[in-house]
Amino acid sequence: MSTAVANVDRAQSTRWERNVPVFGFPVINGFFVFLSVLVLVAVVLTGYRELAGLGPVSGMNDAYGWGIWKTFNVMVMTALGSGAFAVGIGAWVFRRKKLHSLMRMALLTSFLAYACGLLLLGIDAGRPWNFYWMVFPWKWNMHSPLAEVAICMSIYAMIPLAVENLPPLLERLWYFDSRLRPVVELIEKRLHYFFPYIIAAAYLLPGMHQSSLGALMLLAGERVHPLWQTPWLPLLYLGAATFMSFGCVAGTTMLCCLVWKRALDFEVLDEAARITSWLIFGWLGLRVLDILFRGAVGTAFHFDRFAGVFWLEILLIAAGGVLLWKSVKTHDPQSMFMGYILSSAGGMIYRFSPTTLAFRPNPQALYFPATIEVLVALGFISLGVVGFLIAVKRLAILPAPLSEWHNMASYFRFRRPYIRWTGYFKYGFFGEDEKLSSE
Amino acid sequence: MAITRRQLISGIAKAGLPAAVAVTVGTDVLQAGEHIAVPTAAVGLLYDASKCIGCKACVAACAEANDTPPDTRLDSLHQAPSDLNDLTRNVIKLYKPEDGSEFSFVKRQCMHCLDPACAAGCPFQALHKDPESGIVTWTAEKCIGCRYCTITCPYHIPRFQWAGFNPRVTKCELCSTRLEQGLKPGCTSVCPTGAVIFGARSVLLLEAKERIKDNPGRYYQNRVYGEHDNGGTQSLYLSRVPFEKLGLPELGEESVPARTLRWQRRFYQYFALPAVLYAGLVQVIRKNLKGHEEEAHEREKETGLRAQL
Repeated sequence: MSTAVANVDRAQSTRWERNVPVFGFPVINGFFVFLSVLVLVAVVLTGYRELAGLGPVSGMNDAYGWGIWKTFNVMVMTALGSGAFAVGIGAWVFRRKKLHSLMRMALLTSFLAYACGLLLLGIDAGRPWNFYWMVFPWKWNMHSPLAEVAICMSIYAMIPLAVENLPPLLERLWYFDSRLRPVVELIEKRLHYFFPYIIAAAYLLPGMHQSSLGALMLLAGERVHPLWQTPWLPLLYLGAATFMSFGCVAGTTMLCCLVWKRALDFEVLDEAARITSWLIFGWLGLRVLDILFRGAVGTAFHFDRFAGVFWLEILLIAAGGVLLWKSVKTHDPQSMFMGYILSSAGGMIYRFSPTTLAFRPNPQALYFPATIEVLVALGFISLGVVGFLIAVKRLAILPAPLSEWHNMASYFRFRRPYIRWTGYFKYGFFGEDEKLSSE
Repeated sequence: MAITRRQLISGIAKAGLPAAVAVTVGTDVLQAGEHIAVPTAAVGLLYDASKCIGCKACVAACAEANDTPPDTRLDSLHQAPSDLNDLTRNVIKLYKPEDGSEFSFVKRQCMHCLDPACAAGCPFQALHKDPESGIVTWTAEKCIGCRYCTITCPYHIPRFQWAGFNPRVTKCELCSTRLEQGLKPGCTSVCPTGAVIFGARSVLLLEAKERIKDNPGRYYQNRVYGEHDNGGTQSLYLSRVPFEKLGLPELGEESVPARTLRWQRRFYQYFALPAVLYAGLVQVIRKNLKGHEEEAHEREKETGLRAQL
C-alpha cells in the first residue's frame, strides 16, 4: 500500500494517535477575557488580604480556622488534579497503553491545579515568610500530616510534575525553529535518561500527600462527624482522588473535543470509563464497609444536614459509577460525560466534607465564605483555566486522530506561507514530499 | 563480576523491602493503654471550680502578666472577653443550666497536655512542649500561620489573630517568662479563694486527691480531670458539675495524637517504606518506558512524524 493511500485511510480513522494543538481558534475571546478579569480581581484582592489580614477578607473564625482556600482550592481541586498520579500509574505501572494518549492532558491539568492550589495555600498562610523553614529538614515535624502535605506538595509540583510537563514545550521549540533542534534533542536525551526517576517520584509523592490530606482531619477527632471520621480517612481521600482525577482528565478531554470539534476515540474513553467505574465501586465498597464496621450507620438515617450531605455524596458517586459502567457498553458520550460529572461532583463533596460540611467545632459555630474569599478562590481557579486555554492552543496537549495533525500542518502552511514548515510532516496529506512543496 | 546498575537497584529493593516492613511494623510507637511519660519538672495548674467565685481577677491579671491590652471590644468599656481570643489567654465562663440545677464557673486556658495534639500537628514545631517543664509554648519565628492548631486542639485553646498583616497565635504559656524570674503565673497570684493554684504536677495531683478524700461526694465522679484524660494534662480540674458541661470533653485515656495517628505515623518512620516503594517504582517504570519508547520510534518510522513521548 502506498503512503498516500494509507494517509487517506487515516483521514477517516478516529483513533487518537497524536497530541495536536487546537488550531483555528484564537486564544483571546470573550470567555478568556472574562477569566482574565477574574484573575486580575483576585490578584488585587490578594494584595488587600496581605495588608488587612485574614479576618476582614474571609468568613473564617475561631471555630472554623480553615476556609474554602484550603478546603476547596487545595483539598478538592488537587484531588481533581491528581490525573498525573492516577492516569499515570494506570499507563506506566499497570501498562494500560491506551491511557498514554490522555497523559499530556493529565499532566497539564495536574500541574495547573497544584500550582494554583499552592499559590492559594501561600496566601492562606498567616505568616508565609516563615515558609523558609521548609529548606531545613531537621526543623520539620516529621509526624505532622500538615508538614508532609506542605513539603511534599511543593516538591511534587515544582520538580517531578513540572519536569513531566516539559516534553510538549520542548516539542514546540523543536518545530519552532530548525536551528534549535540540536539543543532540544540534547535536552530531551538528558531528560529521558532521568525520566524513570522523575516519574517514580511523581507517583510516590502524590500517593503520600493525597493520603496525608485525609490524615489532617484525623487529629480533629470527634469534631468531624462519625460518618466521615475514620482511621481509613487517608486511604479514602486517596481513592477519591483517583476516580475524581480520571473524571477530570477524561471529562475535560471530552468537553474539549466537543468544543473544538474533534473526533472521540472510544477505545481510549471506554478504557478510562471502565477503570473509573471500577475505582468508584471499590471506593464505595470501602466507604460503606467502613461505616458499617464502625457502627456509624445509624447516624446516616438521622434527619439532619450531615445525613443529607452523606446521601447526596453517595448517590452522586454511585449514579456516576453506574452511568460510566453502562456507557462502556453503549459508547454513549452523553451518559459517559454525565457519569464523570456526577461522580466527580460527589467526590468533591466527599473531599470537602470532613473539613467544612461535616466539621462541628461547636453547636453555635457557623462558617460561610465572604465575598472577597469567594472571588479570590474563583480567581485562582480561573488562573488555572486561563493557563489551560493558552496551553492547549499553543502546545500539543489534546489527543486527536493523525489526520488532525495533517490538517493543522496544512492550515498553518496556508496561513503562513512565508514560514518553512519543516518537520511537521515527512509526507503531506496526499503523500506529497514536504521539501518539494515548501520550496 | 561487575554489578550492573539494574542489579544494584533491584538488589537494594529486595533487601530493603523486608527491612522497611520490619521498621514500619516494629517501630516503638505508644501502645494502647500505655501511659505517656510525665516531664521531669512538670508544672501545672489546679483549678477547683467549686471554689471559684467568678471574680475574673485572673483574667485581668493574665492580660497584665502577658503585656496584652485588655479586650474591651464587647462594650468598649469593660475587659469582658466572651471567650478565649487573640487578646485573651485565660477566661472565666459560667455554666448555668435552664432548669435551675447546680451552676459552675469554669476557667479556660491551655491544658498543657502531656501529648499535645497542637504540637503533633504543627508543621515546623512552632508549638513545642518543653521536655523539662512540659509547658507548651508558641514561637513566632517558626509559625507559618496555618491554623492547624485551632483545628487539632481538642480543647479549642489556641486562637489566631484574624486582623493585621502579622498575625500571632495566642495561648496560655503558663507565664513561662514570669516563672524564670521566680514569680508565679499571673492568674494564680491574684486568685482570692485559691480556686486556681500553681505547682509541680505531682504535688497538685496529690492535693486534688486529698480534697476528694476530704469531701466525698462533693466532686463529679470523685475524679481529677487531666490525670489520665487525653493521655494526661498538666492543668488539672475539679468540679461539681460534669466536666463535659464545662467544655472539657470526655476523650478517654489515650491522647488524641496517639489514638488517631498511631498507624499513620509508622508509614513514614525513617522514610523506609517510601524509599523502598520508590526503588520498586523506578524499576517498573524503567522497563515500561523502554518498551514505550521503542513503540513510539516504530510509529515514527511508520507515519513520518516525530515521536511524541
